[in-house]
Amino acid sequence: MSTTTTKPPGASQEDLSRLEEHWGEPPSLRAWFSTVDHKKIGRRYIVTAGLFFVFAGISALLMRTQLATPESGILSPQEYNQLFTMHGTSMIFLFATPMFFGLGNFLVPLMIGSRDMAFPRLNAFGYWVFLFAGLFMWVSVPFGEAPNAGWFNYAPLTNLTFEPGLAIDVYNLGLLFLGISTTAGAINFIVTALKLRAPGMSLNRVPLFVWAIVATSFMVVFALPALNLDNLLLFLDRRFDTHFFDPSAGGNVLLWQHLFWIFGHPDVYIIVMPGLGIVSSVLPAFARRGVVAYPLVVLAIVSISILSFGVWVHHMFATGLPQLSYSFFSAASTIITIPSGIQFFAWLATMALGRLVIKVPLLFLIGFLFTFLIGGLTGAMFAVTAFDQQVTDSYFVVAHFHYVLLGGAVFPMLAGLYYWLPKVTGRMYHEGLGRWAFWLVLAGMQLTFFPMHLYGLFGMPRRVYTYRGDLGWDVGNLIATVGAYVLAAGLLLVLIGVVHAIRRGRPAPSDPWGGDTLEWTTTSPPESYNFPVLPQVHSLHPTWDERTAESIGAGATQDRILSEGRRTLFTSELDARYERAVEMAESTLIPFVLACWLLLFFISMLFSWWLVAGFAAVAVVVTMGVWLWPSRRPAEKTG
Amino acid sequence: MGTQVGPRVRLVGGLLLWYGVLGGAVAWAVHLMAAWSMDELTCAAGSAEISALPLWQAVGLAVIIPALAAAGSLAVAALAWTRMRQAQRAGAPDGAYGRARLLAAVGIWANLLFLSIIVLGGVALLVLPVCQR
Amino acid sequence: MTDRGGIVAAATGAEALSTEEPVGRSTGWWGMVLFVATESTFFACLLGSYYYLRFQVGPQWPPDGIGNPELTRPLVMTGLLLFSSVPLFWGVRGIRYGRRWRLRAGLVATMVLVVTFLTVQGTEYVDDLKILTPTTDVYGSLYYLITGFHSLHVLGGLAFVAWLFAASLVNSFDPQHYDRVRNAGIFWVFLDVVWVAVLFTIYLSPRL
Repeated sequence: MSTTTTKPPGASQEDLSRLEEHWGEPPSLRAWFSTVDHKKIGRRYIVTAGLFFVFAGISALLMRTQLATPESGILSPQEYNQLFTMHGTSMIFLFATPMFFGLGNFLVPLMIGSRDMAFPRLNAFGYWVFLFAGLFMWVSVPFGEAPNAGWFNYAPLTNLTFEPGLAIDVYNLGLLFLGISTTAGAINFIVTALKLRAPGMSLNRVPLFVWAIVATSFMVVFALPALNLDNLLLFLDRRFDTHFFDPSAGGNVLLWQHLFWIFGHPDVYIIVMPGLGIVSSVLPAFARRGVVAYPLVVLAIVSISILSFGVWVHHMFATGLPQLSYSFFSAASTIITIPSGIQFFAWLATMALGRLVIKVPLLFLIGFLFTFLIGGLTGAMFAVTAFDQQVTDSYFVVAHFHYVLLGGAVFPMLAGLYYWLPKVTGRMYHEGLGRWAFWLVLAGMQLTFFPMHLYGLFGMPRRVYTYRGDLGWDVGNLIATVGAYVLAAGLLLVLIGVVHAIRRGRPAPSDPWGGDTLEWTTTSPPESYNFPVLPQVHSLHPTWDERTAESIGAGATQDRILSEGRRTLFTSELDARYERAVEMAESTLIPFVLACWLLLFFISMLFSWWLVAGFAAVAVVVTMGVWLWPSRRPAEKTG
Repeated sequence: MGTQVGPRVRLVGGLLLWYGVLGGAVAWAVHLMAAWSMDELTCAAGSAEISALPLWQAVGLAVIIPALAAAGSLAVAALAWTRMRQAQRAGAPDGAYGRARLLAAVGIWANLLFLSIIVLGGVALLVLPVCQR
Repeated sequence: MTDRGGIVAAATGAEALSTEEPVGRSTGWWGMVLFVATESTFFACLLGSYYYLRFQVGPQWPPDGIGNPELTRPLVMTGLLLFSSVPLFWGVRGIRYGRRWRLRAGLVATMVLVVTFLTVQGTEYVDDLKILTPTTDVYGSLYYLITGFHSLHVLGGLAFVAWLFAASLVNSFDPQHYDRVRNAGIFWVFLDVVWVAVLFTIYLSPRL
């Protein structure tokens, strides 16, 4: 597998072969279902999220084709509703977050100098649940029963009266199912970052990407329950005649909106934050210096993730609540721009003070800065209640959040893709192909979404399947449709570039960019055990630091080689002082089996097969009991 | 390290640092939940008092108390930051000081942000009638 | 006086302020704490929804015809659930010193108390259902969802403790390996706290 020949002098040949024996997995069908290797799971997350990105992207192209000309009849209103709902739902829940979780899965253990995640089996379980939940939702499309009430699924539109059939239940149950995976993944990231950092990596030396993933995970832990509750309440209303969203029996439809946006606004940052983390991690390699003002960037990450919980009512400025209670949220929505601005200026200063190396990842970063800036500016405009009330539910909003999400999530994601492709696959990408892809994506993105600002201000509401020709919206719509195809061509070129790299790319050295974080000290792709010697970290930029390099070379000690088993290190939470070596979980089929039982449970809930659902619930509990049964091995063991 | 400082005192010091880092955030969260829910729910019920207390005074308390807590947190963070800087300048081995200094720096800036949000809420209370829609 | 001044000075000195806290916890502990944190957030949203709906219904709560919920049995249940933590923690302390029988006895006592709790809850539901169902109005929906969801967690706790008991019979735990037992303790604190919040919200707040 290894494509480089540099042999670390720290670990002996015996150590290496013993490590390979404990960590390696000979390929087999069973191993494919039972692996707990964070790198394989990370790659699977990335590929699966990419698949859902293609599905959601094709939905968008169909919608843009329908809207190219006024009163066109390519899609029926019913089909259009399903497409925009599945587009939004998939992009947010099945693409953006899982894609970042995939990158995080691959990178976090490598960046912090560990051999796996804290809970390897939970990690595998999270992937299978994500895959099954995504398929659960997409399988509804061919049956014409896909969710069709928008990605935020407002009650009372989604009550049984207006939405008979299974479509809304697919949404409710699908997101509840997916929530299990997201929560498990988030808890795993937090615990991994707290306990598995290499000795010496105290909080002031943690890479910014890891900060971002941990902040994201904290937001998931505290925001997702609101969405889960919302979906549970709506499911109960629809199936069991409860009255949570039924005003005639004391319920209140605004409850849906409150709960949804308590989750929904943090979710915007859940999507964007890892992207910002990627920017801060990729930039040093191409500016040839660390990100300026590290403490302030950490501040921005931490304070944004806290503030994001206090701004949700700004999605509801048009719902008629007391002005004073708006102003509390308006204040938070205004102040949250400050940490965002701090980060932005930190990147600009890094570029200004550094020596730029123009390569494809840096191009995407520059594209990000430009696009995200526009999205941020229109975002600040929404903090003004009076403006928000004028443009809410118009295409101006659509333009705004596509600038934020494509700018803040997709551009950094593509920068990260090109940056870490050599590490993940062991192959270099083709620079020319990458540049073409960048320019097409950038041009396509601006062409598609910039006109939406304008015809949104001219009054075109979002979520309409067609429009009349005499309203002045037709030119903008045609440009947007052309742009969408250009964007799609650019993304196709990205995919071709990846396939080309894997098939034909030249072998990648272990550190093609001169990056500063620990993943660049491993081979490309990394060995099954990641690090022959777990490093002792001496600075914020360990790969640029000679003492850290020495600790995995001549200065290696047996207590950091740990070849006597499948072992890695626990260090203390804040200062990463050496605590003890621990035995890590081995591959097993149980996570896959548990995910299958959950799939059965959710399918039977969908079709009201109560007996089967009860059986599946019992099976889930029994499987968990088997999973967590204490083993009688002498060595210390983690769950 | 830790020759004269007892474990109880160390625990207090460690927790004090966390108050300096997160105190403003917690104060702001309490402020937001209290002020918003009192305002929205009392007005929705068609009244402008909570028990005998006029609503604007109740909301005012939900501004002032968190503001004081956030200001205290700011002071602690500033103190911790100077202490760490002095210790590092005096040539103490890096150890935990670098980490504590980072947290204190984050705390100073975060508390400034949260304190200004709470103050802005107070300004709104002075300007707007409590139940105007 | 000088002594107290000395303590303040020491606690705000560089050494004390740079004390590492939290420190030395296991991954299992952190995992459980975060799981409980996300579950607690769920309950907080649930109880928040109760108040949100309650205050919009108006002064008459529970809505007309439904009296205030009965208080005797919930208070008995409070006693049962809070008291069930005592043998559990007694057992957890026992295994720290390697006393396996003390752990087993504590787990059995906890199970007995929890089964009693769930039985009392069941009899309460039987009586309640005569005047109120989840489909009566939003009050009924909230009442059954909140109490039922908490009971579901108690049932989960019961399964957890029963499973620990089975594992303790084959001597799975000793002073070095009792992460899972201690996690049951964390879960119990969560059950207790949530129950007190439920007690206040459902049974006491309508009387205020």
